Parts: sequence; structure tokens; C-alpha cells
Amino acid sequence: MRRNTATLLTLPVGAVALAIAIGGLLLPRAAAAQDGEKLFKTTCAACHSIGGGRLVGPDLQGVTERRTKEWLHQFIPASQKMVKDGDPTAVELFAEYNNIPMPDQPLTAVQVDAILGYVQASGAPPAADGGGGEAAPEPTPAPVEPPATPEQIQLGQDLFTGETRLAHGGPSCISCHDVTNDAIIGGGILARELTTVFGRLGGNGVRAILGSPPFPVMQAAYEDRSLEEAEVVALVSFLEQVSSEQSNHLPRDTGLKLAASGAVGTVLLLLLYSLIWGNRKRGSVNQAIYDRQVDSI
Amino acid sequence: MNTLNTFMFVAFPYVAMITFVIGTAIRYRQTGFKVSSLSSQFLEGKKLFWGVMPFHIGLLIVLGGHLLAFLVPAAILAWNGQPVRLIILEVTAVTFGMSILVGLVGLLHRRLTNERIKAVTTRMDIAIELLLLAQVVLGCWVALGFRWGSSWFAADLSPYLWSLFKLSPETAAVFALPVVIKLHIFGAFLILFMVPFTRLVHIFVAPLHYISRPYQQVMWNWNKDRIRDPKTPWSPTRPKNN
Repeated sequence: MRRNTATLLTLPVGAVALAIAIGGLLLPRAAAAQDGEKLFKTTCAACHSIGGGRLVGPDLQGVTERRTKEWLHQFIPASQKMVKDGDPTAVELFAEYNNIPMPDQPLTAVQVDAILGYVQASGAPPAADGGGGEAAPEPTPAPVEPPATPEQIQLGQDLFTGETRLAHGGPSCISCHDVTNDAIIGGGILARELTTVFGRLGGNGVRAILGSPPFPVMQAAYEDRSLEEAEVVALVSFLEQVSSEQSNHLPRDTGLKLAASGAVGTVLLLLLYSLIWGNRKRGSVNQAIYDRQVDSI
Repeated sequence: MNTLNTFMFVAFPYVAMITFVIGTAIRYRQTGFKVSSLSSQFLEGKKLFWGVMPFHIGLLIVLGGHLLAFLVPAAILAWNGQPVRLIILEVTAVTFGMSILVGLVGLLHRRLTNERIKAVTTRMDIAIELLLLAQVVLGCWVALGFRWGSSWFAADLSPYLWSLFKLSPETAAVFALPVVIKLHIFGAFLILFMVPFTRLVHIFVAPLHYISRPYQQVMWNWNKDRIRDPKTPWSPTRPKNN
């Protein structure tokens, strides 16, 4: 028995060794993704342009001149931490961009350098305002769009709840996001509440995020299943309507209802079990013999 | 932080899976007759029923649900397309999840208070029961605090789990998840890792043939009514020694 236990205990050690070997084989893959342009497009382009004016966040043209390398390396992976620590530039930027936090980017230093290299290379000569100011380039005028039709808003709502599936099979928005709107069921709360997202980010911001999500969880969910242009337009028009109508709708308590249904369901289950196994043998098999012996003393 | 994440969601899952497969095989080869959970139904039956039934039935359904979302995520997303179906699925999952919690708390209470059960309890039994309890509490927390899990599991965690099996882990999404969900995922691998060293090995020896087994007919060669009467002595001379 002692020998058996010993053999069993050596197993994790072996397993660790094997896993490390596998890990060693896998590690080189991680270093492969250093293509600055590709990284910029998947990670930054939703909110930042290079020389195209401000979107959700600042135009990044000339950013490598405006800020030091150390500052950028600190800001990109953990911008909110810098705001909380009171870095003056970070606090100023946060206020200037309507207190919309930049999501922390899980990038290695090498990847950040690759992106900054790309930004530097593809930006035309840096803005001539002598640095410091953020408001340098004129924003590109947004294309004038016709107002959303009711059909588009309805399509957006159906896409949001999943009643109309997204063409490439991505999960519906309601999986992770909630909005205050009586027309649909309570949404998910894994990710941000979206009632005011249109008001905060504007049509361009929402469109940019839907086109190429900068958040890792959302990115993985829509990998190889990106949204079509028409779907993005419909969703943006739905979110615009949600944002403008928010005062007509009450917040719901979906979570409480879910918990209560679960609790009631559990009680019903226990009742069901007692019905099904009502005539089971109670007590142990030898209970009768035991009782009889005690009685017969 | 990244090192810890890599350990929790890349290295440890492989350690757990390898240990699970090889360890269970070794344990079965070496101590075949001890691949069991050592039934305690003879020692105590009433509390056992109210613990074991909600626990095991709930576990089969909830674990089956996780497995389906892992194997056929597209089907789960399609099912969740109708809000009514999404709610039916989630309420069912939460119901059985809570029944697991109720059953497990009952079983733990029974194991810690009943003298007969205490006599056959090992420290590992308590350890694994606490681990399961933590995992179930985290699971209910995830279901209620980060809804709708059935959808985002299919969209985010199924690709992650598949990527582990394809030996090219895609972990960006898992690294960015809230810590409660991360602990629940890590807990799952930890339980898998513990299987060969605990009573959990009994999942491989479930007596499924009992379901279709013909009835056993028991015949008694004496008058049962007389024997059942406590006044009747067992033998013509009453026993003197008890």
C-alpha cells in the first residue's frame, strides 16, 4: 500500500515535467505576433487614428514625440492605474475624453514597441503645433448619414437579443451586455452596460468598437465571426434609440428574478424527489434487525 | 501577473489532464478494488438521500451542460437566440446548480456531525468536499453575477478549451475575465487533478448495469410474521448475552 501511494505521488511531478516540455514547445508561438501594423489594427484602431482626427480617443499621430517612451509603456497596459495615481497628463487626457477609460491592453513591452514603431512610421510629419496640445488636427468630417429607419432599429434590436442571428454566427450582444429598455429581456452583465454608450462614444465610436473590438474577451468572441456592415449600422441605430429613450424605461431586476427562480426551482425539485422516491427504504438495511434486538432484551 | 495567468490557464490545465488520465489508470491497475467512494448508506441513510440525490442529479445536468457548451457551442448559441429559450436554459442551470449546493452542504454537515460517518471519513474526503463546495459556490456566483454564462461560455471559453486540446492555447480572453470566473475555471482543473487521489474516482465505476438489471427475488424459508414480532425470541431459548 505504501508503495502504491508513493507511485501515485510521483505522478504530479512527472506531469509537471511533461507540461513544462509541452509549454516549451508552445512558447515560441507567443513571440510570433509582433507585427506592429496588425497589432495596431486589431487593438488600437477601434478608438484611435493616425492622422485621421480624434475618434473615441486621441489621434496618435506624433504621439511618440509628445510623450516619452516610458510614459507610453506605462500608460498603454494600465491607463486607469496612472489616472488613479494622479499622473497629470493621464488625468488631463481622461477628463478631456469624457472620462471614458482606455481598456488595459495585455501587451508585452515588445508588442508595445512594435505598435509605436508602426505609429511613428505611418504618421506623416508630426503636427506643427509644437506639441503639448491634443486638439491639433481637424477631425475628419463624419459622412452625413440618413437617419435610421424604424426597420433598421427593429433589426438592431433583434440582432441585439439574438432573435435574428448575426450572419457569421457570433454571439448576440445580450450574452454579455444589458440595456435599460422594456422591449427586450434583461441582458448579460459580464461586460459593460450599454444604455448610454451611444451618448458617451458617439456613432463613430460605437461603430469602431463593433468593427474591431479592442477588448480581449469581445475580440475572442468575434474572432472569425466579425459583424457585417449592415449589422453594425442596425446595432448602432438601435443603441442610439436606447440612449435617447432611456428616461422612458425603468431598470429591471433580472438578477434577483433569476436567483429567486433558482431557489423556487430547487424547492420544487426536492418536492419532486420526495414524490418519486417516497416509498424508498428509509434507514439502513439492518435497521429492522437492530431495532428488534433492542426491543427483545 | 502574466506568469500566474500562464500557470493557471496554460501549464496547470496540462498538468491536471495528464495527472487525471495516467493517475486514474495507475490507481485502477494497482488498487482496483479501492476504486470506489466507499458507500456509507449502511451507516446512515436518511440524510444521505437528501444530500446525495440533489447533489448527483444536479451535478450530472450542470456538468452535462458545460460539456455541451464545450462540444457544440454553435448549437448553444442557436438555442439561446430566442430570449425565452435563453431564460429557460439559464433558470434550469441555476436551479440544478443551487440543488447541488443544497445537497453538498447537507452531505458535508452529515459527514462532520454523524459519529458513524466520522469513523469512516479521511482527511482527503473533507478536503475534496470543501474543494467541491468552493467550486459550486463560485459556479452559482458566476451564473448570477456574470449572466448569461451559457452564451459567453460558448463564445469565449469553448474556443479556449479547444485551443488547449489543439496544443496552441489562445488565452487573451481568459486572462481578461473577472477573477471569480478565473477561479471557477482553475477550480475545475484542480478538481480534475485531484480525481486520482480521492474518492472522486468512483465516477468510473458507477453501477450503471443496476438500471437494467432484472429484479432479484428473495425467498425466506420461515414464517416472516413470527420473526417480525419482537416478542418472538430468535431461538427457543432466549439469548442471555444482550
